[in-house]
Amino acid sequence: MSLLHATWLPAIRTPTSCGRPALLVWADTWRVATPKGPEETPAIHPFTLNPKELRLWLKNKNILPDGIIDATGCLTLPSRSIKSNLPKKTQSKEVVHQQSNWRGLPLQAGEPIPKACEWWPWQVHGLAIQPYEATMWLSQLPLSGKYPDLADELRWWSHLQRWALSLIARGRWLPQVELSRGECYPHRARWVPLLNHEDDRRRLEELAAKLPLVATCALPWREPTAKRSNRTTRLRPEAMRASNPIASCRPRSGRLRVAKLLEELIDAQIRKDFEPNIKDLDPLLTTWQEALGSETGVIKLPNEEAERLAAASKHWREGIAGNVGAARACLELSTPNNDEGLWNLQFTLQAEADPSLKVPAGSAWAAGSKSIQLGEIRVDNPGEVLLEGLGRAIAVFEPLERGLDSATPSSMQLTPAEAFVLVRTATNQLRNVGVGVELPASLSGGLASRLGLAIKAELAETSKGFTLGESLVWNWELMIGGATLTLHQLEKLVSKKSPLVQHKDSWIELRPNDLKNAEQFFQANPNLSLDDALGLTATDGNTLMRLPVHQFEAGPRLQGVLDQYHQQKAPDPLAAPTGFSGQLRPYQERGLGWLSFLHRFDQGACLADDMGLGKTIQLLAFLQHLKSEKELNRPVLLIAPTSVLTNWKREAYSFTPELNVQEHYGPKRATTKQELQKELKGIDLLITSYGLIQRDIELLKAIDWQGIVIDEAQAIKNPAAKQSQATRDIARSINKARFRIALTGTPVENRVSELWALMDFLNPKVLGQEDFFHQRYRLPIERYGDISSLKDLKSRVSPFILRRLKTDKSIISDLPEKIELNEWVKLSQEQKALYNQTIADTLDAIATAPRGQRQGKILGLLTRLKQICNHPALALKEETVGKDFISRSRKLERLEEVLEEVLEAGDRALLFTQFAEWGHLLKECLEKKWACEVPFLHGGTSKAARQAMVDRFQQDPRGPQLILLSLKAGGVGLNLTRASHVFHIDRWWNPAVENQATDRAYRIGQTNRVIVHKFVTSGSVEEKIDQMIRRKSQLAEDIVGSGEEWLGKLEVNQLRELVSLEEG
Amino acid sequence: MTHSTNENQTITTSLTDQGLGEQPWWVEQWMELINSYRFKKRLARAWIYAREGNVTSIRFEGRRVHARVQGTDEEPYKVKLWLDVLNDEDWEYVLEALTQKASWSAQLLAGIMPVDIERAFAASGKRLFPFKLQEVRSECSCPDKANPCKHISAIYFLMGDRFREDPFVLFQLRGRTRHQLIKDLAKQRLKVIKQLMAEAGSTASINQLTPTHSHKALINPSLWWNYEANLDSELVVITPSMEGDTGLSSAGDLPLAEEPRFPKARQVFLQHLNVEGQRFAQLAMLKAMNKGE
Repeated sequence: MSLLHATWLPAIRTPTSCGRPALLVWADTWRVATPKGPEETPAIHPFTLNPKELRLWLKNKNILPDGIIDATGCLTLPSRSIKSNLPKKTQSKEVVHQQSNWRGLPLQAGEPIPKACEWWPWQVHGLAIQPYEATMWLSQLPLSGKYPDLADELRWWSHLQRWALSLIARGRWLPQVELSRGECYPHRARWVPLLNHEDDRRRLEELAAKLPLVATCALPWREPTAKRSNRTTRLRPEAMRASNPIASCRPRSGRLRVAKLLEELIDAQIRKDFEPNIKDLDPLLTTWQEALGSETGVIKLPNEEAERLAAASKHWREGIAGNVGAARACLELSTPNNDEGLWNLQFTLQAEADPSLKVPAGSAWAAGSKSIQLGEIRVDNPGEVLLEGLGRAIAVFEPLERGLDSATPSSMQLTPAEAFVLVRTATNQLRNVGVGVELPASLSGGLASRLGLAIKAELAETSKGFTLGESLVWNWELMIGGATLTLHQLEKLVSKKSPLVQHKDSWIELRPNDLKNAEQFFQANPNLSLDDALGLTATDGNTLMRLPVHQFEAGPRLQGVLDQYHQQKAPDPLAAPTGFSGQLRPYQERGLGWLSFLHRFDQGACLADDMGLGKTIQLLAFLQHLKSEKELNRPVLLIAPTSVLTNWKREAYSFTPELNVQEHYGPKRATTKQELQKELKGIDLLITSYGLIQRDIELLKAIDWQGIVIDEAQAIKNPAAKQSQATRDIARSINKARFRIALTGTPVENRVSELWALMDFLNPKVLGQEDFFHQRYRLPIERYGDISSLKDLKSRVSPFILRRLKTDKSIISDLPEKIELNEWVKLSQEQKALYNQTIADTLDAIATAPRGQRQGKILGLLTRLKQICNHPALALKEETVGKDFISRSRKLERLEEVLEEVLEAGDRALLFTQFAEWGHLLKECLEKKWACEVPFLHGGTSKAARQAMVDRFQQDPRGPQLILLSLKAGGVGLNLTRASHVFHIDRWWNPAVENQATDRAYRIGQTNRVIVHKFVTSGSVEEKIDQMIRRKSQLAEDIVGSGEEWLGKLEVNQLRELVSLEEG
Repeated sequence: MTHSTNENQTITTSLTDQGLGEQPWWVEQWMELINSYRFKKRLARAWIYAREGNVTSIRFEGRRVHARVQGTDEEPYKVKLWLDVLNDEDWEYVLEALTQKASWSAQLLAGIMPVDIERAFAASGKRLFPFKLQEVRSECSCPDKANPCKHISAIYFLMGDRFREDPFVLFQLRGRTRHQLIKDLAKQRLKVIKQLMAEAGSTASINQLTPTHSHKALINPSLWWNYEANLDSELVVITPSMEGDTGLSSAGDLPLAEEPRFPKARQVFLQHLNVEGQRFAQLAMLKAMNKGE
């Protein structure tokens, strides 16, 4: 798969002018390449799509920009050195000395970084988008989320463009005149952003600090001066050599570059929208205005006039400090020693990029006309920068002039009144004219410095903390600036009539309403419930009756409840209940503890552990826990996809034999309430499918369930779908409480669109009505990636979702390095019929066959049965994938579900089959389904092609996540350690062969836990052989020991028993 | 001098639309100087010259103003205008005095002429502003014997506006360019602070932070590709500015002397930008809203 990139080209050539900027979009893709090095010009990047391919690709993805031309950029990229074994070509010495001997390849995004990395320039082919079209294109790119074919920096670009739109909407721009920088550059009229507002400065810092350098790594394109004729900006070696000696640029501080890019985006958009109106204008302004609306912005004026215009526009802009410099003046306020004392205001020079980097004014004065260094930032003319800022500051905060009465001032004193003006109003104004201000912590604004509450609370003595509505025992104090105070003290402070007052060593600012709010709070003397406490401790910045809560101190018992609720601490583990036959790993015990904790609170729980961590086991243990505590009095309904019903039955049978499990499925299922109630006598768990929930909703609703469990909970993600509605419907209890548990292996909390239905099932009140949810969360998060809405949403749902990953540190030590999972599947109707038919047709023939042919016939039968278990099409020798292909085989249905989960998690997988034909069919089917490439390595694959497949699987950052292998061709010798899942879609008689195949992934170099999925068709020959292997029966010994010879020795009765299909 | 004649008022208030009261004080002071000229008629004609665009060019070349004024003759008359420059010794005094108050330099750099700037010049016994009109030296190639002639007077008027564009212009006419002045002032400050430190016996270094090492990306090349940040919450919804908080309104009037023939040019220019700016804002919000639809 290719990955789309976007890099700004400072200057490309167009027929009308030289030196115009553009956005270069290009895509890298994996292919086999030989190492290259720069010759007279940089080497051509070997991994890029050519412009034609790129156009097609963008078109298919429906993101082909307007206004593009083929272009080549010269990009500095981290590169991997590769020692060349080839002898040096014989060349004349003259050429050799210009060349570097370096050979290597550029790194691709996501590729592991080699220990030694070098930076080299590469010629990158792509498409150049003109600035205006680039802004339109960027506006359409997603603002959030990861996309497999869009590189990270595209999101950075779309954020930059979003900011540009915001600046235009807020009118934060001014027209300017940019003077020529040399012969090739005319004077230009430009629209430039004003970044004097504090918020915009912060944004600049953030975007610069996080700038993915690939966005700006293009080298300036020095055009040879000769006339050009062709439209493309292809590099012509002979002319380029002279102008562009090989150069690579190392990364520098990105702030000025980002500001420049922002200017380009803003200029392009306003220029396009601007309609000049030259009525009543003098010639100078007419020329300027026309240039502001023209495509190139070129101002045709004599130098002197242009210079005058430039000076005027510059002063105009300087008045509001819209320029971005390396450093700025900063004023630091510190508190006096006593109540009536004077406040000290210190002058410093502060790096814009990092406000923590400061030097006192004295350093700036002492630098004279030399530059000084603030961290990695060089500040030229520091004294001038400081003075200019202070000059602007005087206009806002007049008392400052008094402080600048000496030659080299370093600080001044302020009266309390002046200090108050500075704190309350001037600080913001100063920041907006680009002067930094630092206030003492207790005065530095925000809720933290306001009058608020410190709360102490504990559960009532008799309470166990099980009900959310219960009142807590609590008391509270007023708090300001980190210190508590009584109402009396507050009144005393207020009576001083001074806005800045000192309380317990710190200076604080009192607001007019503070006393009133406090008094009201005292009068109201409100109740505090456990629910309130949960809310107050979930996030920062909560208020109670307009007073911010600064401190919340919970008593030990309440703290225990809160901790568990917020998962700040792992829930108390609960050991496996009696009657549970099996072992729980430590994290599973914690999972069990968590389930029963939420159960106590009557809150729905979603267990979203990674695949392979044993969600089924934890749920079964929970049910057994209820049973052993004698709390399981009514049946529990479990809804799961049809493909896993068998699995549930099997697991329940082996782990919780005491639980009475019944299946509600198939044509023989109960159809009336009486029948069902009769059937449910003594039953603990009824298992049914999502499909039947819809069909039998009325019937199932009539039963008094103790709880509802949904497996593969993503099945209800679409709130409007019938099965989702029916499921949520049945979860609502009519009279008695029902517990609700959802199981899923997908990262539900990251899928905003799917959360609502899930929470509506679990705890309907948490996210409110669907419309509200859509407006409040889904839209802002999905469309704009609004992080504050996302945080809020997460804090609301996270108490109800427990997700552990295989890679979590606390989990990984509990896990074996190889986890084996059996996937039990049934046969579809078609498979079943074909299976039985095959046995009926063949057994007699085998019984009557001469001894010599018997073994062959038996083998033929077993092979055919295994094929049927895979897919009817395989047994019927169909060669293409028809309609309903997936639904014809239960095994394939399940395989597809599991694979999707694995691939979506970003994991890589190997899938082994013993039938090459099956591999071909699977390849076709999966490629169709996912619209992506699925390689298949089989006996007919050439050696070179095999190596290419393996290399690509192991190295290509965006290579296929799944590779199909035939057991014979792929079972040995290959190194495929990038896979963390291994699928055995059909069983081999010999576990050693399977293990050998598994070891392709599970071997030295593997850093992940490997999960092995073995598909077994229950009741069929596959299961029976599996059982024999497990039981290590004599027969199994024979099988393992002697290949397939034993088969010939089987009696017909033995054979019949082995192959015949068992229901159940 | 009296400024109460009608003629006089017309001239001074219509030069810019806002009238004298809103001019920076140093421009106002310059205008007062011109208006002290006795021959009001000539001044009135000069005003018309200035306003109707007869002045075809004004250049500051070194310490002199060179201008061309289209008079009755076919060729424009050449006008030269200059002030007495301060000699190096005088400048020494001025620089030393100017350094004594950092607020002077601060304001100048921020584009403002300090109100009490003459105090810095008093040290040298000289002035920055000419005290009398006679101190403004001039030459004109016109046949008129009177000095200032109307051509020269026309230049006087326009120069006021140039001072508003840049307070350093006056210093240049007195013999020091902005660049030179700033450099000299930095030197002076260095001298003072060294002296101060020596007096305090302080060995405390004027500590410079050590330059830090190479860019992060050189240690972690994956910074070439990675960007994990979420969209700034405040950019989720794109909103217009608060009332009067656009760049245009905070920047105020464009400090560019307009050609008097187009008395409303600047105002029209700014008004048009304002109207257009509101349209840009609408378009931008629309674009932001249609995202992903």
